[in-house]
Amino acid sequence: MTRTAIKIESLRKRFGANEVLRGIDLEARDGDVISLIGASGSGKSTLLRCIPMLEVPDAGTVTVGEDSITADGRLGRVQQDTARRMRRHLGFVFQNFNLWPHRTVLQNVIEAPLHVQKRPRAEAVDEAMALLEKVGLTEKRDAWPVHLSGGQQQRVAIARALAQHPRAILFDEPTSALDPELVGEVLKVIRSLADEGRTMIIVTHEMGFARDVSSRTVFLHQGLVEEDGTPEQVFGNPASDRCRAFIGSHFTRNR
Amino acid sequence: MDIPFLRDILGQLLVGLPLTLNLAVLSLLGGGGLALILNLLRLSRVGSVFASAYVFVFRGTPLLIQIFMIYYGLASFGFVRQSVLWPFLREPYWCGLLALVLNDAAYTSEILRGGLRAVPKGAVEAGRVSGMTRATVLRRVILPIAARQALPAYGNEVISMLKATALVSTITLMEVTGIARAEVSSTYRAVEIFLCAAAIYLALSLVITRAIGWLERWLSPYNFGKTQ
Repeated sequence: MTRTAIKIESLRKRFGANEVLRGIDLEARDGDVISLIGASGSGKSTLLRCIPMLEVPDAGTVTVGEDSITADGRLGRVQQDTARRMRRHLGFVFQNFNLWPHRTVLQNVIEAPLHVQKRPRAEAVDEAMALLEKVGLTEKRDAWPVHLSGGQQQRVAIARALAQHPRAILFDEPTSALDPELVGEVLKVIRSLADEGRTMIIVTHEMGFARDVSSRTVFLHQGLVEEDGTPEQVFGNPASDRCRAFIGSHFTRNR
Repeated sequence: MDIPFLRDILGQLLVGLPLTLNLAVLSLLGGGGLALILNLLRLSRVGSVFASAYVFVFRGTPLLIQIFMIYYGLASFGFVRQSVLWPFLREPYWCGLLALVLNDAAYTSEILRGGLRAVPKGAVEAGRVSGMTRATVLRRVILPIAARQALPAYGNEVISMLKATALVSTITLMEVTGIARAEVSSTYRAVEIFLCAAAIYLALSLVITRAIGWLERWLSPYNFGKTQ
């Protein structure tokens, strides 16, 4: 039996009068690749951002590895330390890449190893170069983020996340900000990570990709898990009508 | 043209250069520190009101009047003359420097505020999510980006302050402009003397412009077409 990497229990989050998450339970075991799908506003990005406490939940518990936070809308001092430990075990890939503009590609990748994990520089650089090779950007090591295409920036961001040795990697719509012709290169990298057996949660609108790559698919609707199963079940024979309609509309639109 | 006279005047004016530089550098240092404090104050509501009021007053009134208020104005209050600060506040040097510091802080705090506002939210989130402490995010992400954003505007402020030091000649300080005024009143050769003084400021401005430009290129080569 594999161990639990991330566990989410009864998670609630509201923004003002708008209750975005209304009691979510989700568990990722080591090696799981979970795709989170759903219409915009269904809460999937908020759910993902609650895991490293980029959004602080109003209620519920988030567990990453050994660390656990039961939140009530704000983090106390001790919980902030716990959140930092949790973040060190997570890689996070943003929709808009969010590379540090004042640092080169290599500097972006070695930043957390040097200044969070306090690892020796030579070791961090060697490993960063290996990661850049994995994402196909070795020759861009000294380039600045502004001079890279969106697809290249996102691949650097993935290398940066991997450099933390994360237990799990969270992807927040990693291809939504990309020109269509650049989507493929990023999906290819994520697919190779899935093949390595890495634990990942991916919020995505790429339905074909979600179906092919994930080991589990979760459909969110209005802040609740509406459908949760293997991609074959969720895409082939969904139990809920809303899920069926959502998937149907996506596949017809993409054709 | 009376070359020997010009050379003589230039030599005399340069005697005031150390004081001009002293006032410019110290007022920039003091003003910069105060500007950072004003921006930290903005984190609280009361502090934010204070910072806004401070900037409104010191940016909205002439520096010359601020200098006069401090030099002539403070002395008219009995409690100031009794205070431990009086040995300083009766000296024109300290009054002039204080006015320059307070004035520079107002402008620099606005420049810094603009720089801080221009830091992309996503870059800060990327720092937090990598497990950095607040202090590390500030040191490694927020301040380096804000400083790069603010540098061009700050270059103007440095030159402004250099020229603003000329105003303290009105409270008897013998920096470059003060010496120039004294020479003019004894020789009546206003054009040559003031031209010499202007040339000194111009040379200093040139050095500052070059230095700031070099610093910008060094910090942000990606803004100058350098791809590697």
